[in-house]
Amino acid sequence: MQYVKTLKYVFHVIFRPFDGFWDLKREHRGSLPAAWTFVVLTIITLTVEKQNTGFLFNFNRLENVNVVVDIVTVLLLYILWCVANWCLTSLMDGEGKLRDIMIATGYALFPIVLIRLPLVFFSHLITASEGSFYYMFGMISYLWAGILLLLGTMVTHQYTFKKTLLTCICTMIGMGIILFIGLLFFSVIQQMITFAETIYKEVRFR
Amino acid sequence: MSLKFKYRIILSALAILLSATVLVSGNTKVAYADVPYETYSYNFWGDDVLQPHAYLYSKTISSKDFKKALSYPQDMFYFEDALYIADTNNSRILKLSLEGQVLMEITCADGAEDLLNKPQGVFVNTDGNIYVADTDNSRIVEYSPEGRFLRKIGRPESDLITDTQEYKPTKVVVDKAGRIYAIAYGINMGLVEFNHNGEFQGFMGAAKVSIRAFDYIWKNYFSTKEQRARMQTFVPTEYSSIFVDNENFIFATISNLSEEDYMEGADTVRRLNPTGTDILRRLGNYPIIGDLYSTADSNWSVFSDIYATDYGCYFILDSAGGKIFAYDYDGNNLFCFGKTGSREGTVQNPSALTLSDNHDKIFVLDSIQGNILTFDITEYGKHLLMAMKTNYIGDSETATREWQEVLKANANYELAYIGLGKAYLKNGEYKKAMDYFKLGNSRKYYTKAFYYYRKMVMEENFGKIMTFIIITAVLILIFVWIKRIRRWVGEVRCSMSKH
Repeated sequence: MQYVKTLKYVFHVIFRPFDGFWDLKREHRGSLPAAWTFVVLTIITLTVEKQNTGFLFNFNRLENVNVVVDIVTVLLLYILWCVANWCLTSLMDGEGKLRDIMIATGYALFPIVLIRLPLVFFSHLITASEGSFYYMFGMISYLWAGILLLLGTMVTHQYTFKKTLLTCICTMIGMGIILFIGLLFFSVIQQMITFAETIYKEVRFR
Repeated sequence: MSLKFKYRIILSALAILLSATVLVSGNTKVAYADVPYETYSYNFWGDDVLQPHAYLYSKTISSKDFKKALSYPQDMFYFEDALYIADTNNSRILKLSLEGQVLMEITCADGAEDLLNKPQGVFVNTDGNIYVADTDNSRIVEYSPEGRFLRKIGRPESDLITDTQEYKPTKVVVDKAGRIYAIAYGINMGLVEFNHNGEFQGFMGAAKVSIRAFDYIWKNYFSTKEQRARMQTFVPTEYSSIFVDNENFIFATISNLSEEDYMEGADTVRRLNPTGTDILRRLGNYPIIGDLYSTADSNWSVFSDIYATDYGCYFILDSAGGKIFAYDYDGNNLFCFGKTGSREGTVQNPSALTLSDNHDKIFVLDSIQGNILTFDITEYGKHLLMAMKTNYIGDSETATREWQEVLKANANYELAYIGLGKAYLKNGEYKKAMDYFKLGNSRKYYTKAFYYYRKMVMEENFGKIMTFIIITAVLILIFVWIKRIRRWVGEVRCSMSKH
């Protein structure tokens, strides 16, 4: 029942973020499985949104919708954010461990699920002229999640607001760098493999 | 009769049947594959979707049979079962029958010495009078229907044109009020307008010069003199051809566009009202630029001629791709066909297009081969154009029938779905209309149909919906109250036990 309790705690976190994030870390009110549940829910939300949003608001070409892309984007961004944030904050004397960061980030994603999933349903009931509400709520979900992410970082590491902003910006740059190095590594490995393959072929055919 | 024999008969009969079907299907296939081009249009997503041929190539009028073959002919006009051709490099105007016989030849203007010099444009008004843009003589010449010289309109005398400025009229049209409009080489202030007496009235419909801030700054502050000299100057675009439609509006095409212009979907066609304002409707999914992409083997479309029907559809000739693009009144791409090449039915460098009065023949003038290609309308094309026509004049019943015919031949046609959807919307069949608009990918009309559908459902089920809302509200209230009472009871008990 511990898991369900930590799941339920998300409502406290998103409505009272300062108190909520503090207790996530220090009172162990949250759990990693719960955080991962929210990540999975986010992936599901995005997929459902792409496929099932009403015709008026759905500009996705259904034959091009790919679940794998959603999974990879969300997971990749989640992991990158957590790792980059952890790397940075451990240098900038943040108090959060990787586990804390992963939990806080996972919980911060919940507004996306909470708002966008019902929006998929409501998109079938509104006309294009009422679409501004639809788009407004969609915006709010991302803004809310963004603010939560910011506050989560702030509370988890016990930073001032200014330092949090700086950290977040640096984290994003860090994500870029990690991605770059990853791609570099990938292409180098690829070339090494091709090299080995060529040598093998040369030797074999000689 | 032995069993074996019977068996053999059945077998041979089967064989004959099989070969017959193969022959028949083979025949139809060959007939279709004979068409050297594809007909397609762009759908909502910007994909080119093949569709049945709207016009099929039927024959070529070859000028090799003439006494003198056409040489670089630049313009063609259809009037009362005859084609008028500006045979530019031979400095003459020809009147041809549709079978390719020369009915009349005009080589001179006022007297036998006053020869035409490389005329590039020809126009015939409703009375049959022939107007010729006598390009290298810098004048416009009018003839009677029999080819008798009537008058010439020379270089406009105005302070707006300096003496050194070139003035070479290339295309000419005359509207129903007798106003004469000409495109002139060397004049980039728009169309040259004369009144019915041939007096210069001014310029009309100048293409606006639009300079992007970035280009301006880059050119004026960051480029060297040499670079600047090599850059294009910002001048208004010149029109490449004009056509006056039945409402006295002037369709004009623009051809000298840059890669960026195409990417941004710049104007390639304008419909000018008498004050020179562009009133062309651009409500399609994509800008009116012909092909939406340029690839290695197909360049951007270069529009060199235009023909407008009296129900708002217009046909544009793409001289680069040898294609003909048809658009409807709203600027939706109806279809596109044609190809460059040297096969029969393809063109090399088309310079002009015109249609017969009932639009069942398209004539394309090939300036390099000196040929006139004739394309005949198919059943599919007839239904399509009829649907457009009846829709334009407001006969929605016939339009619905025609759209259904179009859909039978082409189930991928978004415009047909939208057309039918409109009909259902009008009849109050909102759910059906929604389905059709969805198939036609038209969110603009879908939302209209949906609005009425929702209203209808709400009105029909008002009782149910209200009951549902009230019951839920009451249930929630009861739940909340029970919680409160229980809490209150708990508090009372608590305080009692304390005392």
